[in-house]
Amino acid sequence: MSGGYNEIHPEPTTFWSKYIFSFDHKVIAKQFLWYGIFFLGVGGLMALLIRWTLANPGVPVPIIGNLLFSGSGGVVPPDTYAMLFTMHGTIMIFYAITPILIGAFGNYCIPLMIGARDMAFPLLNMLSFWFAFLSGVVLLISLIIPQGAAAGGWTSYPTLSTLIGSPGAGQTLWCLAIFIFGISSTMGAVNYVTTVITLRAPGMGYFDMPLTVWGLWLTAILNAIFVPVLGAGVILLILDRVFGTTFFLAGASATSGSGDPVLFQHVFWIFGHPEVYILILPAWGIVSDLLSFFSRKPAFGAKATALSMTSISVLSTVVYGHHMFTTQMSPLLTQSFMTLTMTISIPSAIFFANWLGTIWKGSIRFDSPMLFSLGVVFVFGLGGLTGLHLGTTTTDLFLHDTYFVVGHFHYTMAASVLLGGFAGIYFWFPKMFGRMMNEGLAKVHFWGTMIPLNGIFFGMLLVGYGGMHRRIYNPFIYESLQRLIPVNNLITTSAILMGAFQLVFVYNFIKSLMSGEKAVNNPWEVGTLEWTIPSPPPHHNYDIIPVVKCGPHELGNPNLKTGRDFQYQTEELVEA
Amino acid sequence: MNLLKMGVSAGWLDYFRPPENISTTAHLIDDLFNYTTLMVTFYFILVCIGLFGFSYLYSRKRNKTPYYTYGNKKKHLIVTAFIGAAVFLSIDLNITRIANNDLVNTFWKFPDHKNEKVLRVEVMAQQWMWSFRYTGPDNEFGTADDIVTNNDLRVPVNTKVLFHLTAKDVIHSFFVPSVRLKVDTIPGRITRVWWEVTKPGKYDIACAEMCGTHHYLMKAGLTVYTEEDFNKWLASSSLIAANTNDPQDANLAWGWKWEE
Repeated sequence: MSGGYNEIHPEPTTFWSKYIFSFDHKVIAKQFLWYGIFFLGVGGLMALLIRWTLANPGVPVPIIGNLLFSGSGGVVPPDTYAMLFTMHGTIMIFYAITPILIGAFGNYCIPLMIGARDMAFPLLNMLSFWFAFLSGVVLLISLIIPQGAAAGGWTSYPTLSTLIGSPGAGQTLWCLAIFIFGISSTMGAVNYVTTVITLRAPGMGYFDMPLTVWGLWLTAILNAIFVPVLGAGVILLILDRVFGTTFFLAGASATSGSGDPVLFQHVFWIFGHPEVYILILPAWGIVSDLLSFFSRKPAFGAKATALSMTSISVLSTVVYGHHMFTTQMSPLLTQSFMTLTMTISIPSAIFFANWLGTIWKGSIRFDSPMLFSLGVVFVFGLGGLTGLHLGTTTTDLFLHDTYFVVGHFHYTMAASVLLGGFAGIYFWFPKMFGRMMNEGLAKVHFWGTMIPLNGIFFGMLLVGYGGMHRRIYNPFIYESLQRLIPVNNLITTSAILMGAFQLVFVYNFIKSLMSGEKAVNNPWEVGTLEWTIPSPPPHHNYDIIPVVKCGPHELGNPNLKTGRDFQYQTEELVEA
Repeated sequence: MNLLKMGVSAGWLDYFRPPENISTTAHLIDDLFNYTTLMVTFYFILVCIGLFGFSYLYSRKRNKTPYYTYGNKKKHLIVTAFIGAAVFLSIDLNITRIANNDLVNTFWKFPDHKNEKVLRVEVMAQQWMWSFRYTGPDNEFGTADDIVTNNDLRVPVNTKVLFHLTAKDVIHSFFVPSVRLKVDTIPGRITRVWWEVTKPGKYDIACAEMCGTHHYLMKAGLTVYTEEDFNKWLASSSLIAANTNDPQDANLAWGWKWEE
């Protein structure tokens, strides 16, 4: 299987080649991690400003209000509010989750877990990061230009996102930033797919890969296929904005053009729905592995889990129309998309059953990565199940564009992915940096995240069901929504609390990085390949490419005579 | 003390309800929502029982030796397949069937004004205002006697009202929480929605699709009249329209010929 290019590259010697323009997948992974954590902070602050405004319309933001919004006496103005939620969505999806889950874990875990010395295309890998960097710079510049950043929502529907609704340069820069980011993602995706196919260690079949690699691999495949679709969409939007074409302009009145604004929605969601799975698949993979590792028994139905993830990836490409029920597509399309959407329940139910089957009769160690993984099962349960209300056309007629949708996709995309990401960070931190994180602080961080998080997103489900719609600056000009003020206060208080507890994580991360306890090679006592080498691994990972002889979840075998309760993947499988 | 407690509990329940229901069709959506919620809650409780129950029973303290299994025995496969099938049959199949029936028999069954009594209204959305157009006495749209109102929709009870909607500048979405309906208004297209309301009073109409800085201010009032009051209002408005509509006024010229 190891027919690919797998030589030992000479170790870089200068600062620039070692830390900045590095070809080493481990360094690039850390670059993506820092980049993602930075933007997670920016996007999180924006979320707090949004929440403050929703709970206290017209009240100046404490502490930073006068600094940021001096023109309005510290109150977030309506146009800034629109920029904030647009940028919050854009940043969290493309600049926080994608770099952390896909950029950092993809880069770090794939080569190490499949026994490779680096990615298949190291140069492409480096370019992928620096294109992402460039894209981030373009996006940040759009925040400080005179007419401000894009303000049409992260979905940027025309005609609002054309010159008719957004004359400023911010929207054009947004399109440009997304396009550049698409280049970066596509480069990464091509690299991941190739690496998994060609560089698996000898003996490692597809079902011998850890489920983390399965998740990342499926994500990369979806990325390679669908990110270019978004690229095409934003290019057409740029043409409409800058060169006077009318792809997305229609109508006899103010918009006068021969195109169709709904066309953009099709293009956007053909990308956008797979994107949801692009973001969640790595977290699913990580959780599937960690539940097994910390229950000290093999992953229950690992093959079925991998195949369920695969079938969800396939189904995710044919359900996007459920985002567009209110545009009144043809009845046939509406019915088809509803029915197809529902079939996603089957593979989802199967891997939920497998997750619970994994911890069933285990011997569970509640270390922080396990706590976060169990948290994912809980929040993804809520997120996935509320999707049923929205996939049903008639209930969607009421719930579409309300906070019910916001609560639902935050449970799936934000809460699950965030908790999965933290699980991964706590789990691989020792391998990445050679030091342990403080376990006590990690547990404080877990509960301080988990409890307010449900206050936030369950509260959103409630106000959405109560009829509060999205993206409004002041909901309470509607008398019928005034009864929801206390719930909005609860959401905001929870958000501030959750934000505060993230400081525990930042402190723990930096403190452990500098003076954490030294990590041994295999602190969690698991058998996947990356734990057979030192923490942190040497530049070329493996002195000798390992030969894989068993699966990744060989734990708790009663016939083991090695004194360990797990087997390394390089060891001959002991029959039970 | 007891009073305080009651006040608190009644207050809490108030956060768990949708807006007031005023139409003949909203209960279809509410019923389906409740059914879905019931089933979803059932399965979520199962997940929680597994999650918390197993975490308690099989912690390292209580269970020293894990059960070594790949979960690929026949009984494991049967249980897993059963769970998958149970979810699909009990939730998905049912809600898809019910939703489909409601669409075909109700929401997509647009009333025909030639055969039954239907109030027709043309709606035009623009940043940040709703305009509504009634035919006036000649039963034709786009003529001089049309009644046009801004941010003020008035309809009678127990009468089917059929809307044709479009937008002038950007995409908006016509959202009436109390009838549980929402439809996008799109430049260059005409979308349709119908309802029949049963309860006189004043309600909210909102724009649900982000449409610019003042999206949140794009609010219209819905006044539901008894039939008698509505006819009175319509008659007096017709009179005012006939006397004051200025054919040169470009703001009034947006009506279009009604096509089914």
